[in-house]
Amino acid sequence: MQSLNKIAYISIFTAASISLFVVESLFPTPIPGIRLGLANIFILLALIFLGLKEAIFIGIFKSILGSLILARLFTPSFIFSISGTLVSTCIMWAVIKSRLPFSLLGISILGAETHIITQLFLAISIFLPGISLFYISPIYILSSLITGSVVGILTYFIYSKTKRRNKFCVD
Amino acid sequence: MRSESRFRPLKIGDILAIILFLFFAFFLPRKHGEKVIISVDKTNDFVYSLDQDKEIIVKGKLGEAKVKIKDGRVRILNSPCPLKICENKGWISKKGDFIICVPNRIIIKIEGKTYDAVTE
Repeated sequence: MQSLNKIAYISIFTAASISLFVVESLFPTPIPGIRLGLANIFILLALIFLGLKEAIFIGIFKSILGSLILARLFTPSFIFSISGTLVSTCIMWAVIKSRLPFSLLGISILGAETHIITQLFLAISIFLPGISLFYISPIYILSSLITGSVVGILTYFIYSKTKRRNKFCVD
Repeated sequence: MRSESRFRPLKIGDILAIILFLFFAFFLPRKHGEKVIISVDKTNDFVYSLDQDKEIIVKGKLGEAKVKIKDGRVRILNSPCPLKICENKGWISKKGDFIICVPNRIIIKIEGKTYDAVTE
């Protein structure tokens, strides 16, 4: 029963993060490469309620299926998406496990920043060799600070609501 | 079950993270460049000083693009590429700034005078 429960939560989180990923990719953004990252809400919730393995599973499936729906599987943007998701999931897990004084806001900001820094690093090392990482990063760092805070606050609202009603009984 | 208060917003780590990333976003030192490198198809072709007032015709893969240097700044005046992203980027002047025109295979990059082992 316990593992069935877990499988159900994994699939719900995966479906929710895929749909958010696809919907928010349809909105135009002022600067290429900037998204709100709403799918991170469910990866963060999965890290808290389920664990690292499940969160990585959700992240990988979000990237693969979301890119498949948007018809950009195995394109550069897919590679950026999946690598950024993996690195930021691991970082957020480490921060949660380390018991450093971070709230969901700070964890989400760190996740967003590592996500964009991984993507910038990949973009520069694969596609634009020779351009120093630090010179193009300010606008991306600032925008992921804002999107990371928005996602963190949303995640906190969902987390406290579900916690109060004892919805997630996986542990 | 973990307690809810663990994730309540605004702890000391959050504020430190916000300050750190704001610092990275706004206060990273950026110097004015000294010379501009215009490369076509990833080969370094032309190096110009930024101190001059000049219009350069660069032959890219699609056709000729007009590059203007003035008052220590560079921009692409017109380009044969379809989306005109490189024209809309406007003037660049800081060290490390660049304009890239993907269809026309032109990269315009600003560099400092001396090679700095710490920042590069």
